Amino acid sequence: MFKKILIASDGSEGAFKALVAALRLAHSHKAQLHMICVEETQWIPGSREEVIGDKELADRKFAEVVAKAEVEAKHHRVKLTSHIVVGHPVPAIVDFIAREGFDLLVTGFMGHSALYNRVIGSTTDRLVELAPCTVLVVK
Amino acid sequence: MESVWLISALWIGLALVSALISIRVGISVALIEIIVGSFGGNLLGLTPNDWISYLASLGAVLLTFLAGTELDPVVVRKHLGSTLSIGAVGFIAPYLGVLAYAHYALGWPWPQAQIAGIALSTTSVAVVYAVMVETGLNQTEIGKIILAGCFVNDVGTVLALGIVFANYNVWLVLFGVATALAMWFTPKVMPWFTKSFGGRVSEPEAKLLLLILFGLATLAAIAKSEAVLPAYLLGMTLATFFIKERALAQRLRAITFTLLTPFYFLKAGSLVKFDTIMAAIGLITIFLAVKMATKFVGILPLTRVFNFGCREGMYTTLMMCTGLTFGTISALFGLTNHIIDQEQYTILVTAVIASAVVPTLIAQRWFQPAFKPIAKEDAHVQENSDR
Repeated sequence: MFKKILIASDGSEGAFKALVAALRLAHSHKAQLHMICVEETQWIPGSREEVIGDKELADRKFAEVVAKAEVEAKHHRVKLTSHIVVGHPVPAIVDFIAREGFDLLVTGFMGHSALYNRVIGSTTDRLVELAPCTVLVVK
Repeated sequence: MESVWLISALWIGLALVSALISIRVGISVALIEIIVGSFGGNLLGLTPNDWISYLASLGAVLLTFLAGTELDPVVVRKHLGSTLSIGAVGFIAPYLGVLAYAHYALGWPWPQAQIAGIALSTTSVAVVYAVMVETGLNQTEIGKIILAGCFVNDVGTVLALGIVFANYNVWLVLFGVATALAMWFTPKVMPWFTKSFGGRVSEPEAKLLLLILFGLATLAAIAKSEAVLPAYLLGMTLATFFIKERALAQRLRAITFTLLTPFYFLKAGSLVKFDTIMAAIGLITIFLAVKMATKFVGILPLTRVFNFGCREGMYTTLMMCTGLTFGTISALFGLTNHIIDQEQYTILVTAVIASAVVPTLIAQRWFQPAFKPIAKEDAHVQENSDR
């Protein structure tokens, strides 16, 4: 049923669970599997150094995430293509799905406090609302 | 002595709270420090004393110096005309527009209107840079030209701040000559000095830089100019040196951002009066509108000249409407030198903060360009042996 699957990873434990689920789905559906990691930029940075520092931190973090995902993909015998983009997670992922024509987005449940989710909303909520394809949220 | 430590603990505690909030919500620590400082000033009675003001001033000078070191001199040399045109228009249009509005429409005297014009003439290099990184424009020649133009824009701001209110006497001439000599000699001396004495725990190279900055700041103060002017200009001339000496730049940044700039931004926030914001919200909105309108008039046509698409042109122009650090520095200069009063300071700083927030929101809501992958797409591929 699914031919092109995207797993969105923020490097969290929830995202890793989603990766495992996505790998199983990709294997059973014989689907292409891509992973997107978004290096989040600070909103209204006060200095260029803040931007550079955040980016270096994110580069290190996502290099580890990709390496761990590769090992897991090898274990599941699935081809995984990773993409790292810079920006704000929701628009970056939504734009990427629309541009590359994915038919399933798999994402972990990004856990915030109940109050935070109620007041601000979570990234997962926004992805479910805005993604132009089927969304699977793994808890 | 106890109260010194108590005050230190209070201010650094607020700085810590700001840093944690900043990390949690993903908004600049500088902006959060201003907001936290404003709550401290209005609700906790947070008042900057002499030594806090000194640390804040030192923070502003080093922050400006470090901002200058981030210039890409190769791009400026290669595209001098386009860089200067974008930067000059980015400064002059809002400077004149806001100055005229404050003087002719509001009846502010010339010096106060000058501060308004200068404070709202800035472009936030950091915000524009962040956008460039997001869109991949920072890797393109046009992106680099725009970014260099932002530096030129801010040169206009610090030049105006350093010259408009100065005493035109022999001290100003001496200050100008000393700054020019420092800009000429320091890039030649620093590599040799660092090679000969650098890399030690006592940091002689950092001390030499501070000595030069403090010396120029002394002359600036005597000439009734502003210490951030030579700091920014000196930083720009040392940009090439700091590309090679990244470790020194990182150590200076660590000192500045840990211990000095929090005092600066918290102080800037603590002097904002909430009741003035409520009373003058309309005026603040108009100041913001004038800044944005004049930036549009100046910069949007230039994006067409440089073959930006409609969406990208609007996005870039909106980003160049932003301002934060240099805007607050200008407003605080006016307040410290009794050119503007605290009500006017509040109006200008709030307009500056609004200019950091509103154009960014509009740009990201309606004019967000497409995101491009930045990593090698096939760098992390595991082949399925079944396929």
